[in-house]
Amino acid sequence: MKKQIDNIWIGQKDLTRESDFMETATKEFAEDHVEYADMPGHLSGNRRDFLKFLGFGLGAATVAAGCDIPIKRAIPYVVKPDQIVPGVANYYASTFVNGGDYCPILVKTREGRPIKIEGNDLSPITGGGTSARAQAAVLSLYDTNRYTGPKMKDGTNWKDMEWADVDKIMSTALQTSKNIRILTHTVLSPSAKKAMAEFTAKYPGSKVVTYDPVSCSALLDANEKNFGQRAVPGYHFDKAEVIVSFNADFLGTWISPIEYASAYVKGRKINDITKATMSRHIQVESHMSLTGSNADNRILVRPSEQGVAMTHLYNEITGGSMSVAGLNDKAKSSLSKVATELKASQGKSLVVSASNNVNEQLMVNAINHALGNYGSTIDTASPSYQRQGNDKELKTLVDDIKAGTVDLLILNHANPVYDTPFGKEFSEHISKIPNKISFASIPDETTALFDIIAPDSHFLESWGDVEAKKGHFSIIQPTISPLFNTRQGALSLLIWTGSTIADLTKEQPYYEYLKEAWKSSLFAKQSGFATFQSFWDNTIHDGVLNIASSSGPAYSSVQISGEITSPSSSEMEISYFETIQLANGQYAGNPWLMEMPDPVNRTSWGNYLAVPVNFDGVKTMEGFKGLVDGDLVELTIGEKKFTVPVIQQFGQMPGTVSIALGYGRTNAGNTGSNVGININESLTLTPDGPAYYNASVSVSDKTGKEDQFSCVQYHHTIGVRGIDKESGQEINADEAALVFFDYFTGVKGFQGALTDRSVIYTSNVEDLKHSVEHLQERRKAAQHLNEQQIYRGFDHMYELGHHWGMHVDLNACIGCGACTVACMSENNVPVVGKREVSRHHEMPWIRIDRYYYGDVENPNTIYQPMMCQHCDNAPCENVCPVNATNHSSEGLNQMAYNRCIGTRYCANNCPYKVRRFNWLDYTKADIWPANQPKLSEESTPFMADNLTRMVLNPDVTVRSRGVIEKCSFCVQRIQEGKLTAKTEGRMLRDGDIKTACQTSCPTGAIIFGDMNNKESILSTKLESPLNYIALEEINVRSSVTYTMKVNNRDTSFDA
Amino acid sequence: MVIYKHLKIKLIATIFLMWFAISMSAEVSPDAGKVLFKNYCASCHSKDMRTAATGPALGGSQSRWADDAALYAWIRNSQGSIKAGQPRAVELWNQFKPTVMTTFDKLTDDEIGSVLAYVNGVYDKTYGQPVAAAQGTGAPVEEKSKMPLYLIILGVLIILSLLLTKIISNLNQIASAREGTYTEKKTIAQILTSKGVITFLIFALIVLGAYTTVNKSTNLGRQEGYQPDQPIKFSHETHAGVNKIDCQYCHDSARRSKSSGIPSANTCMNCHRAIKVGTEYGTAEITKIYASIGYDPTSNTYIEKYESKSEEEIKTIYSKWIGDEYIKSKELAVLNDDGQKVVDEQWANIKKSLTNDQKKKIQGPIEWVRIHNLPDHAYFNHSQHVTVGQVACQTCHGQVQDMEVVKQMSPLSMGWCINCHRQTEVKFKENPYYANYTRYHEELESGKRTKVTVSDIGGLECQKCHY
Repeated sequence: MKKQIDNIWIGQKDLTRESDFMETATKEFAEDHVEYADMPGHLSGNRRDFLKFLGFGLGAATVAAGCDIPIKRAIPYVVKPDQIVPGVANYYASTFVNGGDYCPILVKTREGRPIKIEGNDLSPITGGGTSARAQAAVLSLYDTNRYTGPKMKDGTNWKDMEWADVDKIMSTALQTSKNIRILTHTVLSPSAKKAMAEFTAKYPGSKVVTYDPVSCSALLDANEKNFGQRAVPGYHFDKAEVIVSFNADFLGTWISPIEYASAYVKGRKINDITKATMSRHIQVESHMSLTGSNADNRILVRPSEQGVAMTHLYNEITGGSMSVAGLNDKAKSSLSKVATELKASQGKSLVVSASNNVNEQLMVNAINHALGNYGSTIDTASPSYQRQGNDKELKTLVDDIKAGTVDLLILNHANPVYDTPFGKEFSEHISKIPNKISFASIPDETTALFDIIAPDSHFLESWGDVEAKKGHFSIIQPTISPLFNTRQGALSLLIWTGSTIADLTKEQPYYEYLKEAWKSSLFAKQSGFATFQSFWDNTIHDGVLNIASSSGPAYSSVQISGEITSPSSSEMEISYFETIQLANGQYAGNPWLMEMPDPVNRTSWGNYLAVPVNFDGVKTMEGFKGLVDGDLVELTIGEKKFTVPVIQQFGQMPGTVSIALGYGRTNAGNTGSNVGININESLTLTPDGPAYYNASVSVSDKTGKEDQFSCVQYHHTIGVRGIDKESGQEINADEAALVFFDYFTGVKGFQGALTDRSVIYTSNVEDLKHSVEHLQERRKAAQHLNEQQIYRGFDHMYELGHHWGMHVDLNACIGCGACTVACMSENNVPVVGKREVSRHHEMPWIRIDRYYYGDVENPNTIYQPMMCQHCDNAPCENVCPVNATNHSSEGLNQMAYNRCIGTRYCANNCPYKVRRFNWLDYTKADIWPANQPKLSEESTPFMADNLTRMVLNPDVTVRSRGVIEKCSFCVQRIQEGKLTAKTEGRMLRDGDIKTACQTSCPTGAIIFGDMNNKESILSTKLESPLNYIALEEINVRSSVTYTMKVNNRDTSFDA
Repeated sequence: MVIYKHLKIKLIATIFLMWFAISMSAEVSPDAGKVLFKNYCASCHSKDMRTAATGPALGGSQSRWADDAALYAWIRNSQGSIKAGQPRAVELWNQFKPTVMTTFDKLTDDEIGSVLAYVNGVYDKTYGQPVAAAQGTGAPVEEKSKMPLYLIILGVLIILSLLLTKIISNLNQIASAREGTYTEKKTIAQILTSKGVITFLIFALIVLGAYTTVNKSTNLGRQEGYQPDQPIKFSHETHAGVNKIDCQYCHDSARRSKSSGIPSANTCMNCHRAIKVGTEYGTAEITKIYASIGYDPTSNTYIEKYESKSEEEIKTIYSKWIGDEYIKSKELAVLNDDGQKVVDEQWANIKKSLTNDQKKKIQGPIEWVRIHNLPDHAYFNHSQHVTVGQVACQTCHGQVQDMEVVKQMSPLSMGWCINCHRQTEVKFKENPYYANYTRYHEELESGKRTKVTVSDIGGLECQKCHY
């Protein structure tokens, strides 16, 4: 039954007005923020101790004052490279690649050290967008767990060795081996593939086996059958008016999310309200994925019903008559409607599926063919190579290893012990292989079982090329010389092959090889450049090269016969999903990604079992087995038992639960080891490959409570309503403090009457006219209510020069979190660890608030990036006793860290809850060792190691303990942009200054600019009737505005 | 009487010296000569007066000329002297042609005399010490500080208050005597140990202590006047003053970066490939650059694989160079014991300067001692000031071109920055960037406003420097 409510809610605690939540929501900080008693360096004491410390402090200060200032040295270069000017950043075009993950990037380096990643807007694939993974890649360069050079197993220990010795051992091993296997994740590099081809040609018994950590094998197989090319076709989400996705998380993790997201939002943005049109996106799934949360309609099917759901749609569209037994009625009727809608938009629709069943994928292709989508929304001329894995070959390899026929296994960035369903087989039988060598650059579960490690360099230290889509090439160029004694994997192969294509004795042998490879292949295909050198220089400068491809192969029909996923009759099913943060564990060692909350369930540092919730629509929650957030349960999948914490998830289909892949790694460095549980071995194995669900699952009753429940959903909430205890009236929960004053004075505070807050405005695209009227009325009332302002005369200042502002288009924001990581990278935001997150101490300056609205059982979702709003009537400023936070004439809410004494009054008074306090010395910026606690099990705080600190942005102060910090609108970029304009003697142009969140966004949701520049893009956004200010009625005059969230939900689906 | 006599002698000596100093400055003075030398001669003639540069070494030149008149004529117009066939002139021409000495026909006899006085003074090492000492005793001490004035006022006040106390106590005595209740007069010791005085003293002590503490702690980390020894005795006076090398030739990133940049050794080599022997310290200091970058001055080549050379190998290369230079300068046939001592000393000095606890190898960068240090939380950008603001380097760094050893001239405190931002005018009309400050432009036009300072456009706001 549909339970529509008018409100917007953030979680079930909000819907049911849970008392503990309402209480914490009224406070800026959680109760348990005090020091841990068991913490090293913890100080406890009484008045006498206090006096002692005071005396010591005074004495220490006196002694310190008498000391000489330590000598600081200024060390110049011996021979300064021409391009480097100390203090000025250089940008190099390169490409982020990790398996099939791909993003053309610009690498910002300072004094020769990469510190930040930006998107390369010359790329037609991503258009300058990035992802959280690409943003975080720079931190992995400075991973303290990296191998420092080649290693050899010596009993149980590892001993260092020389590259010459590695090559010597390998040449013997290669001579004696008959069956050589290279096991790799997807390889996007044409030159690396060429190297592999040379290798396999030289050693006849060798073979390359490719797999993907999250398999797309069936999709590739189906396309091979229909088109003769084993590749992912090019999807054009921007051209589709109806998008149907069967469990494919194409905005978050599926194949090429940056590309798809940037195209997808083109059909979602509302530019002209009088002619508002929007694509309709229908997601068929059981758990709430990031893509599902952005969909207009979600059709709930159990994981095992996916096959019949697709069959039903296939029948409806192609007139087939295959069995759909087991499909739930509601989904059936909804899918019939979907079919009608799809048929109505012939050639303008798109159906995708993440299914790993070949027959299901063949059906999807048949549907798309029947709808005439090939050639319009799907092109086969420029297929994507971002998934190349072949599960059948992987299975054969496992069998070969079991049989003991493999002589030599070379691992190229693959971690089969963890990220395949065959982890157990690998770890048990791998000892049967006489020679095992791995190119892993960081120890993982598999390297522990290997003999020799020949560590690969990080991609920021390497030369390389990428062909992510046919005809779309990009270059990887090194931005720093290798930090350690590492060698590129492909180069190792070339050396072992004895390749003669390039002179491998040169200083940068792989560069020579790459150049030769390009000279012989791509230079001939282009016509823009006459000489190879100019072609090469230009390509390296641009980072990308596009060569138009001819038409692709046409669809040829294939008989669909054979197994599809059969619906299960079990009471409970579990689905597994890949997260943006960790993929299938490849990114588990990256602290930025580990701490980034999952966009949908908002948990970090662990995988939580998402359980369905049921709300009676009034006040009671019919929770699944009475479980609430943070309860521990015993999860039984097949024979295996896991203890996991649960999270209540709206939109999770009743009778199903879900959990994220990628956690529970046992050997992933300080950050990734032993966080969450590993469910890779509980995947369902089908003849086509692993299926990401399991039907034999049960969840126990509550067995305990998680110690450190690290879900940020209920931290820093704004605009939550509750019942005031004393007056019995409904009020905004986080205003209890203000109401307190009302009782005593009898007059409302300056900020007026506030029982109905405007944080989010939503509309269906059909009601847009009416909703805009409503919005305008509300805005007018709010503005009428509040004409006064705190800082008189400041308007006079804002007119001059610049008045900075930001706009966030909620229709474009998909919640992917790239901005969160970009901000951490740009602004030296610390990583705090699980324990601190559980105590509400997470530090990101930009958080992405998730709100639900509409149908309680199947709600729509809004992602609202929330950062400091730079209010011109800022409530934080006038409560600071030391004037550490104050206003600039350009409208910035300034924060002077060295002035801050940590009263936290500002944070308490911030209506948007965006100020973050350094409870501990997270960055080791403090000189007193006693203030440098261990945050977790690791020996130093996450960002405090000298190697890791190389990632810090030298233009931004590293904050120490006891100060407040918050979004600065990237003031360092503002100042830099202004300075460039001044130096060049010109006015500042719109777009000269872009904040880190803005440049990282794959969908262009964030626009920063000068409100005084009437021609700026920002100004046009401000004039849009959909534009609003969050909490406008409290008259803080914030500089950040939002676009009303518009959906295109077809309510008839829900009946 | 003895004391008076002594004073008399001093007085006479002072008067004499003062007259001497004045008379010198009016006519021929080595000080005036120094200025003239810097302006006219230093670009071609070495300032140590001993080594030849573009032109010959000037030390002892008077003795090489037949008479002063011939020398003066040569200085005013060298080509004329050559044409006239003056023997010394012809000799010099043969030695230095085709380089032609600039004509200085505007120089007066006194001016040439001053230059020669300076040249001789430097040559026989009399310039500097004795004259300065003589002037030191002779010159009256001017504007030391206003401290004595304050002390006098304080003294007067103390005397006044003591007097008043005395009067009051006397009056009290009289009053009490009149009332018949005679109290014993308090002794000074009693007064000084009385509760009131002690309380006052403690209070004063606390105020003074707090005042000093606050002052001292604000000054913590500030280094005004900091003048450390550097690994190389690099003289800004020689480079920027005498040779007039532009500051931004070496500190080339000042115009385009936040940091002004310490020149790398290859920048030094632009000139020091040719200038291999210094004017002040001979081979010693310049050889440090060679040892850092790996340049062999004997063969004029960069040393192959210098990075992997051992200390012994490096020592051999540079010892040879220093030794050869010594032999050349002393016109010896072989290196004698004194020479060997010089070589050893210089090598020890090179090693000490180019290595430290962290840097064990001689090769590699020269680690200068950083003088101007800003705290990490203060952002300062040179290009903003140098290129946009067109502030002269000297505004903050002082007259560096006159500094033999660089010294921090400004406190680099926040108050100092703020003060400058309050007073300094922005290049408001010149730079089109400021065009959108329309109101200010209108006000300037109408005369309502006379100038736009940095603070007028937000130059005092926290986040202009702290982020």
